Amino acid sequence: MAYFAAALAFLIAAQAMMIAGYGFPTVGVEAPETLVIVHMITIGWLSLLMCGALLQFVPVLVAQPLRDESLALPALICLLVGLFCLLAGFLQLSGVIDPKIPFLALGGLFLPAGFSLIVWVLGRTLWSVRPSSLQLPARFVAGGLACVAVTAALGASFAFVLSGQAPGWADFDLRTLALPIHVTVGLGGWLGFTAIGVSYRLLPMFMLSPDSERTTGHLVLWTGAAALGLIVLAEPLEVLSGTIMLPTVLAGLLGLVATVIYGVDLVFFYRNRKRRKIELNSRSAIGAFAALYLSVLLLLALFASGTLAQHVGATVYLVAFGWLTGLGLSQLYKIVPFLTWLECYGPVMGTKPTPRVQDLVVETRDRFWFALYYVGVLAGTGALLAEVAVLFRIATAVTLFATAAIVVELVLARRLVNVAAGLRLPEGASRPRLFLPSWR
Amino acid sequence: MSDEEDEILAAGVREALRMVIDPELGENVVDLGLIYQVSVGQDGTAHIEMTTTTRACPATGYLKDAVQSAAWIVTGIHNVEIRLTYEPPWTPEMMNADAKRRLGLVETGSNA
Repeated sequence: MAYFAAALAFLIAAQAMMIAGYGFPTVGVEAPETLVIVHMITIGWLSLLMCGALLQFVPVLVAQPLRDESLALPALICLLVGLFCLLAGFLQLSGVIDPKIPFLALGGLFLPAGFSLIVWVLGRTLWSVRPSSLQLPARFVAGGLACVAVTAALGASFAFVLSGQAPGWADFDLRTLALPIHVTVGLGGWLGFTAIGVSYRLLPMFMLSPDSERTTGHLVLWTGAAALGLIVLAEPLEVLSGTIMLPTVLAGLLGLVATVIYGVDLVFFYRNRKRRKIELNSRSAIGAFAALYLSVLLLLALFASGTLAQHVGATVYLVAFGWLTGLGLSQLYKIVPFLTWLECYGPVMGTKPTPRVQDLVVETRDRFWFALYYVGVLAGTGALLAEVAVLFRIATAVTLFATAAIVVELVLARRLVNVAAGLRLPEGASRPRLFLPSWR
Repeated sequence: MSDEEDEILAAGVREALRMVIDPELGENVVDLGLIYQVSVGQDGTAHIEMTTTTRACPATGYLKDAVQSAAWIVTGIHNVEIRLTYEPPWTPEMMNADAKRRLGLVETGSNA
């Protein structure tokens, strides 16, 4: 729960700064101010959320207890310290602060250390099952872990070069050679692969859809992995083949194929669900998936019109806030009440009447916040495409308002406020702490 | 105890297990079809074979304990033995009509 609380704090802080006009589109995509926002979202919000979710989810995937569970807290501390150093380092670059501490280099040490601990804990847990018998969702997670290792290693090398701590590397054109890999493998590999893997397990589970592994799922895995592999090896492949851009174009096509086949599977899960009345987390996730496919259409349209370079920010915004953040908030809306229920009512179940997990939230009220969130994201994407900065800030205010409302609802769920008074705290049940662990 | 008394006791245990709710689906474990078998021996030992909706569900330990506690409360039960199994794996078809209706279940392949 501490991972989720920290993640939500970063999401809200980043949105507030965007409303204030900090970073893109007020300044350029590669300005230090934009890098502050981008890393608050990708590491502070999305990566912490994903790490927290995987620490709960991977043991379910492999039916084994989490290995070296005690490393979860040091990992969180390393990630938080590393992220604060990284952000301070970007502020140094922008000239806002000028202490003589090499913040970027420290970020380049602590962040990889934190991600290494996460990869160790989750990797060892996955490894407790024979690799050949890993289920499809677990394979996606394993791919995601490999990608976060690559992303963090490249990020650390950027941090060292930018901080002047690696003078020997100054001759390498890291921006051209490694930045596309850092961005693509980070967003598509680490965050994308794990989000896809989690959805392959959670959607059938929550909607009672057929959950046997389908060939299409494996096609998504392998075409997606091939696309990422081509991006990582693009430079040497271009030298070998003598054709510029061919590996990148191939990677784009394979990525497109993977995304389309994934869409086929998503439609299959929703159409073949046995549970007609699905819960808000599954309904809200439809908005996130719609954002993913809208971003693909947008990408293709921008590519066809030759304006991709000009509007790449709008596409990335739609992917990060529409798909990944929408999906993350939707699943948090399920995970937080579920963990709260286990913590509070698990020990007394069978001896005392207990509420249902669904009783911890009020879906009829909360669906409005999710709808508002997606409206804000759509408006924000439109504002970026139209290059109207003021409209983007207003749209971000809408997403912040909706996000804050969802967070308040999660706090109310933790506080058991929505549970009928007679069932709220049966004898023997203990009120859960807001976000510090108090069970297991 | 006669066989008839054992069967009455087993029915009582099944009824008591309705207090145990699967946290994910929000329905009791009996209506969901998670209780595969209940029998009561001559010595008042209840033998319960059960499963969970998902293998390695985080609530498995709590569900087992809850089933044990709920069965224990039944008068005439002196001991409870629980066997957790995933053979056969649970499927939504195992729910009874009440649970299917409350969860709005539809047959496979139809569009909701």
